[in-house]
Amino acid sequence: MNSHELIFLVGIVIFLAILLGIAIYSLRRHSRKRGVVDGDWTKLLKRIEAVDRDNVKLVALDLIGYTQESSESTQIAATDIWDLIGGLEGLEVLEQNCAVLIDLAFYLQQWYPEALAVAESLRLNAREIEWHVSRLRAASQTGKLRNSFPDYAQRAIATYYLMTKNVLALYEKSNFPGLIELQRAL
Amino acid sequence: MQLSGLNFVLWVAGFFGHLALLVVLITRRRAPDFPFFTCLILSNVFRTVVLYFTLKYGTKQEYFYFYWSLAVIDVTLQFCVVYEMASKVFRPIGSWAPDARGKLISIGGISIVAGLLLTALATPAAQIWIKAIVVKGNFFSSVLMSELFVGMLVLSAKIGLPWKTHVARISQGLGLYSLIGVFTEAGHSIFGIESRIAPIFSEVRMIAYLCCLGYWIVMLWRTAPEPRQLSDDMRSNLYALQEHTEYDLSKLRAWRKQ
Repeated sequence: MNSHELIFLVGIVIFLAILLGIAIYSLRRHSRKRGVVDGDWTKLLKRIEAVDRDNVKLVALDLIGYTQESSESTQIAATDIWDLIGGLEGLEVLEQNCAVLIDLAFYLQQWYPEALAVAESLRLNAREIEWHVSRLRAASQTGKLRNSFPDYAQRAIATYYLMTKNVLALYEKSNFPGLIELQRAL
Repeated sequence: MQLSGLNFVLWVAGFFGHLALLVVLITRRRAPDFPFFTCLILSNVFRTVVLYFTLKYGTKQEYFYFYWSLAVIDVTLQFCVVYEMASKVFRPIGSWAPDARGKLISIGGISIVAGLLLTALATPAAQIWIKAIVVKGNFFSSVLMSELFVGMLVLSAKIGLPWKTHVARISQGLGLYSLIGVFTEAGHSIFGIESRIAPIFSEVRMIAYLCCLGYWIVMLWRTAPEPRQLSDDMRSNLYALQEHTEYDLSKLRAWRKQ
């Protein structure tokens, strides 16, 4: 075996190892989602971390432009948003919960073809929040977190609020088990 | 030209395996759901017959002509199957999911580049250049197919789109077969297509494909889990919910444009 063939062989081994590693990792992620499909609600709900829903609602409705008391936006200051949500860490909790919500949408898509549109809308919203948080993480690496936070964070929170509202309504109407735990967590 | 005993057995098994799979696809009504996959299996039946009789009664030139013509059709149909599987997973409501479209194109681009780089590294020992091209062509298509299936798997896991049962089974079979194809074609390249060990790689590939055929026959025969039915009440609630979500989001998006 000459050196060229040896390089080719090493290349193939690395390629196959990477491809197999990625495939196994992704299959595991899928099997975690299948846990939801099989109705393993306990495991799923354990992954949800509690958030202060009142604070989330306050920040979200400020952006959307109305509150329960008034149709005017209250224009919460950037520093208040930071405190209400708990900074980047708080936003990361929302991101983590979004992953769980994507799994819920996964469950709906898997079992209720008629609910595809709603499930897809929920999934896309959760993905949108993930995108906002990723921008914030990038800003934190360049030292511009404080400036970027209000722009991205409030959008992420508003989307999260709308989405969780929709999810809760959907699961409430469907009489799915675990709804009370879900309401508490979200 | 003559086939060895084992090669003949593998050819016959492949032919009847394809026929059995066709019967399953038609009688279990899977063919309308997977038209490209059905075409691929049908073309393989045709290919086996044509190549067998050309090998037995034709000349080397005729065999070469048919082999390449049918190989091009086979590879084209395999990529059509990749598209078919991707469209089943990443078009949940009839149009491509917006967060998947760009990434799928990137996966395709990266896969082609990685495939070309690995293929460029291959220097198959062959007496005539055309055989070297055969080995490189087979190697490239195996690398590309395996990359595409793994890429689709990664993307669907990341963005949270489920694979329906039969789509998953077809993809698993084709993906795994492609991975084994990378290994066997790499063997052909390293040891040479005319070496004594070369037929072993071909036989490994054919046996792997037969296992894949058996897997498809069993899995496509089985009924996929039934989707659950929405009650009338829930259906109307869902539509109302959808409208409400759209309204909320339109307000949010309007704000962002300011």
